Amino acid sequence: MRHQFSYTAPTELTDLLTLLETVGPGARLLAGGTDLLVNIRNGLVKPNTVVDVKRIPEAHAIMSDNTKGLRIGWAVTINDILRNSDIASSYQLLQTCAHDLASYQVRNRATVVGNIVNASPCSDMAPALLCLDASVEIASSKAYRTVPVRQFFTGVKRTVLKPDEMVIGITIPIQSKGAKGKYRKLKRIQGHDLGIIGVAVARVGDSLRIAVSSAAPTPVATGALPLDITDSEALAAVDALISPISDVRCTKEYRRFMVSEFTRRLLAEVRS
Amino acid sequence: MRINVTVNGIAYEKDVAENRTLLRFLREDLGLTGTKEGCGAGECGACTVFFNGKTVNSCMVLAVEANEGTIETIEGESSGGMLSRLQEAFDRHHAVQCGFCTAGMIMSARELIHHTPHPTVDQIKEGLEGNFCRCTGYEQIIEAVLDVTGGYTAKEELIHV
Repeated sequence: MRHQFSYTAPTELTDLLTLLETVGPGARLLAGGTDLLVNIRNGLVKPNTVVDVKRIPEAHAIMSDNTKGLRIGWAVTINDILRNSDIASSYQLLQTCAHDLASYQVRNRATVVGNIVNASPCSDMAPALLCLDASVEIASSKAYRTVPVRQFFTGVKRTVLKPDEMVIGITIPIQSKGAKGKYRKLKRIQGHDLGIIGVAVARVGDSLRIAVSSAAPTPVATGALPLDITDSEALAAVDALISPISDVRCTKEYRRFMVSEFTRRLLAEVRS
Repeated sequence: MRINVTVNGIAYEKDVAENRTLLRFLREDLGLTGTKEGCGAGECGACTVFFNGKTVNSCMVLAVEANEGTIETIEGESSGGMLSRLQEAFDRHHAVQCGFCTAGMIMSARELIHHTPHPTVDQIKEGLEGNFCRCTGYEQIIEAVLDVTGGYTAKEELIHV
């Protein structure tokens, strides 16, 4: 690639956060690189420093606890999620969404945190994280805060993150027995493709949650809906959330229609 | 930046520009031109190599990231002048036409077989979903993988992919 930058790979989180504060907006964090390196190559971002965040051991940790729930470190890859037995038994929706993300090689590199920090409307992990009521842990050299995923996205490719902050983890509350979630992504082909729309429906405790990708400037989700909500009420709630656009993939009318259709099918599956 | 990297079992110490991709490093600095550049954006899989034991698109990895790491490429697939069983199966089933996708296909197939020693057709399609062949001979490629994993019967009808 033509753009030149310096590269650094800190081995301590405190060093990384200090660096982020010193370099400021000219720094870009490199995890899987599946978005960043393509964007640099295409001239869309021009960092003066690329900071590799993978050399810090805790970045790769997946911690599952019977009371605290699940915590995913900032460099956990999509395939790490797919190979984790705790996630397979208790957080299936995460795996269902992870499975639909890009191709095998990309899943070996792409990270869960990167997928939400990139803040694409078509994020595959966001629907699962929204349905499962995940929180984002954000740190800077001076402060630490957590933000619910539903407040994390502020627009297309925009989040609440400030230039000196980074996401250091995602936490998901423990799922009750009987929790169930399904995801369906409309694509042009069965294989590796960006979504035309995506819908996730989850039964969390005694409520339902529905999340949608590629149908608004950000991934969006309903609040907790009662389990016995009628299909038409649920469809109306989803329809009110979305604001699809027409683009090269399809028209906004088709997007709206397919969001409803997928929601209807998934509601039946989750309720069965 | 100076990096130490082991490629196909050989240790290298090289100076490399920070903005050089692993793909360019392999092809232009080490002369390992078996790995190809297709799209340069992680769509086509022609540049697939093993990085620390996992397949990656080398067009989306910086060479400096591979410091102290291990890389395996198509040049390391055969040994002592003999093709690997996977390469032989590709040959036997005419799974190579222009050959541009083949290096990446072999890498992805090897990773698939490592995790799933006896894959079904669907599992093969999924394992190779990140590798495009535009000639296109997906059926022969799937047959080759089935053959090397003991799942091939000559009369098996493969669904068009």
